Amino acid sequence: MKVEYINPFIQSVQETFHSMMDCKVSHGKPFPTKDDGLSDNLIGIIGLSGTAQGNIAIKFPAETAKTIVGGLVGTTFTEIDSSVVDGVGELVNIIAGNAKAKIQGHRISISLPTVFRGGIHKLTTPSVSYLTIPFNSNKGAFEILISFRPTVNEKEEALHESAYSG
Amino acid sequence: MKVLIVDDSQIMRKIITGVLKKLKVNDILEAVNGQEAVTKVSENEDIGLVLMDWNMPMMNGLDAVKQIRASGSKVPIVMCTTEAEKERVLEAVKAGSNDYLVKPFNPKDIQNKLGKFLAACTT
Repeated sequence: MKVEYINPFIQSVQETFHSMMDCKVSHGKPFPTKDDGLSDNLIGIIGLSGTAQGNIAIKFPAETAKTIVGGLVGTTFTEIDSSVVDGVGELVNIIAGNAKAKIQGHRISISLPTVFRGGIHKLTTPSVSYLTIPFNSNKGAFEILISFRPTVNEKEEALHESAYSG
Repeated sequence: MKVLIVDDSQIMRKIITGVLKKLKVNDILEAVNGQEAVTKVSENEDIGLVLMDWNMPMMNGLDAVKQIRASGSKVPIVMCTTEAEKERVLEAVKAGSNDYLVKPFNPKDIQNKLGKFLAACTT
């Protein structure tokens, strides 16, 4: 996956956490997404379509999800309730929306988010592999999972864009 | 005057409500999709400001803005959305929204963006 497709997502995560929770996050080296067994995670996932297709997911350990969503609204969650699930969905929505605006030369739409609880056994999109980017923050560690495949040649899209704006 | 928050995320509605209350706006209505927003605007003529998300189930925010304008309402509408591309902003303005606030935002961003509209709501 090209770095120009990965960096917008990293920047978007950093901006979202800084802007909404005054929380600094750092990231590690991306690696191919692998089976994580039956761990207790909350995973928010959103689909990308248009001149590129794929998905972006945010994966929090359940405890971290409670801390991070609690930080959004200034409260303490003692269990994974509908608010925590909703918060994870909104975070992936904001991160995906913010990132797609930073990806040059593409017109991308995002789906509504879906959140599920559990582990990752296998995440596949036809002919696209997932990349995991690990993040760390003072509210806990989490991961962003990205699959991204351009469906339209960038030069073609640039031509279309200039025709559209002209 | 009332402020209507339209967002399918309960967490986002709670965040915006918290900021509005700090700004002394206490008369707040909520809608969870565009269809509900259209209904609430038609039933509450004293709504002075609508904060409208874009991506929602049932009816999205853009279609809701079009329907509200088609009904003849001139209520100020500020889009509060992750849709940050220039053409999306232009689309929203063309549909009849008055201003645009891009997520992620912090309380200060909301305050700065909504100041002129909230002044009218609280007087």
